[in-house]
Amino acid sequence: MSVSNYKVEFEKMLNRDYFSKSLHPYRKEAFAQLKKIGFPTRKWENWRFTNVSAISDGEFMISEVADAPKNTLNIDSYKMEGVNSIIIYNGHYQKELSSVPDGVTLLSGLEYLENKNGDFDTANNSPFDLLNTAFADSGMCFIVEKEIQVETPIRILFISNGDRSIMVNPRVNIDLGESSNLIFIEHHVGDAAAFFQNESVFISLENNAQLNHIRIQSNSEFTQNIANLNVNQQTNSQYDFFQLVDGSKLGRSNICVQLNGENAQCNINSLALSKNNQHIDNNIIVNHNSPQTHSTQFVKSILFDTSSGVFNGRTVVHQNAQKITAHQTNKNLLLSKKAKMNSNPQLEIYADDVKCSHGSTTGQIDEDALFYLQSRGINKQDAMELLVTGFANDVLDKIPHPEIKQFIQADFTNKLGRLMS
Amino acid sequence: MIKIKNLYVNVEDKEILKGINLEVKPGELHVIMGRNGTGKSTLANVLVGKDKYKVTDGTVSFNGENLLDMSPEDRACAGLFLSFQYPVAIPGVNNMYFLKAAVNAVRKSRGEEEIDAVDFLSMIREKLKMVALDESFIHRPVNDGFSGGEKKRNEILQMIALEPKLSILDETDSGLDIDALKIVAQGVNDFRSPDRAFILITHYQRILNYMQPDFVHVLMNGKIVKSGTMELAKEVEKKGYSWIEEEVAEVA
Repeated sequence: MSVSNYKVEFEKMLNRDYFSKSLHPYRKEAFAQLKKIGFPTRKWENWRFTNVSAISDGEFMISEVADAPKNTLNIDSYKMEGVNSIIIYNGHYQKELSSVPDGVTLLSGLEYLENKNGDFDTANNSPFDLLNTAFADSGMCFIVEKEIQVETPIRILFISNGDRSIMVNPRVNIDLGESSNLIFIEHHVGDAAAFFQNESVFISLENNAQLNHIRIQSNSEFTQNIANLNVNQQTNSQYDFFQLVDGSKLGRSNICVQLNGENAQCNINSLALSKNNQHIDNNIIVNHNSPQTHSTQFVKSILFDTSSGVFNGRTVVHQNAQKITAHQTNKNLLLSKKAKMNSNPQLEIYADDVKCSHGSTTGQIDEDALFYLQSRGINKQDAMELLVTGFANDVLDKIPHPEIKQFIQADFTNKLGRLMS
Repeated sequence: MIKIKNLYVNVEDKEILKGINLEVKPGELHVIMGRNGTGKSTLANVLVGKDKYKVTDGTVSFNGENLLDMSPEDRACAGLFLSFQYPVAIPGVNNMYFLKAAVNAVRKSRGEEEIDAVDFLSMIREKLKMVALDESFIHRPVNDGFSGGEKKRNEILQMIALEPKLSILDETDSGLDIDALKIVAQGVNDFRSPDRAFILITHYQRILNYMQPDFVHVLMNGKIVKSGTMELAKEVEKKGYSWIEEEVAEVA
């Protein structure tokens, strides 16, 4: 697919003086590479069930100063108790509304690059990572020094509003030093009529570091939302990911985890709730590069109407990675005859002493369970809701923080209630 | 309480019940016995409104109302309860949450106020004692990973929490060891009262050692072919069903 639609915007971007020129070489290189490989088509193995034509044929414009809020933003409706928030509105950082908790240093993308002596993360050179590198706008880097336990969770609130076809490419780095820990939330909201967000997140966990990463993607259903998560884990580190996606027309999470040190552990949990013609997609790769590393993937989708979804979960166990455990579970609930799910759990094992499992089920509401509840006096509507909530509960239970769990649970119940009434 | 008249029921176009007549009055305990495949469970399921059971003829009136016109949930709210032979497991749905939803649905239909979480918990603690279950039990998902005995006790727990007028116990005794059987029987006995009625479906006379039925009926080939008292159950226990079969054949 051609990236020519993006060329004009790319030139425009290079001419905006609020973007540092020192990043231009990286941008140009990434854009040249993207031009070479193009956007994915359905002939690409990991994109067989995902239609990105809205992006490849789309005409998205970079966010301009005019797309930033004119006055101080009212964010009451996105309030979350007990967290520090960073607010990004249509790609523009809202400094006066933002704060970081004690123990976290926030750097801009450029400052971070200088800190790292120009060592720029380029991830796996997928088209969307390259697009992000080329167009990276809001760069945010969170650094937690070693042995710091950050008590207050930090949230980035991404708000996308307005009628213009804007494209934003947030780039987030999270570096946790040895034996530190953090709860990091990304919360995507807004009622944009057309919007394309292509986010790249780079996570680096040193020995014994622990990150809880919570992602709530509730963008308007007219938007495109691609997330590229790249996680690198050292010895004894733990990465717990929870995601609730009910937003965007096309929502795709590309998650790539490298378990590089012994006893590194990652748990990827995701719950999707789709309606109308939404498409929600999880493409996960976990690489067991070291012995005694552990991973779980626990992904569930609830699909209404003509919505569709993909689970593409790949676990790769490299040759020296003995005594690892890896489990993949994908369960899908179809609440309409026209909803569609593609599930593809894959294990690729090159070591011989491992404990791995994978499984996938897709089905409808259990009629016997429904009748059981009705026979106890619960009306059909409430009984259905109880069963769907029950289906979701074991993923929701993976949310580590009680207040955030309550928030997400309430949000989920509310949305489900609206869909089922 | 319930009047079943000339009830014919098909399951997937096969006629299973062929003219059932049965009346149960408040305070009574009726036992329905019979071999496998004679239609006992079909009778239970059709009364609570399971949809694959099609009534082709006959009427059922429940406290004056036409039971067959009601939805399953309305039947439950009107005071009908079935203890299932094979209670279904519902992973993810907390037992207490489910019980509270059920109790409140029934209360609401009676025009009573919904019970709050605190009152509910103290109420359910009392009922748990009656079926000898500890509190952790209600925090588990409904029937999920329950042993056979636990499932049956969970059914009885639901019965005493929902306080139905008519309880149908479908082979609640099968698969239980003697201790569990006593607990279940005791739970039912404690729950008996002059305004409540029971239909107990069973294979064995065993549970009747712990209960006092008013009537015993033998179901054969979709019909009640013989009715009597406890003496009939004892006779069946001793001699099996063939002699009844022969009697029926003679009459025919």
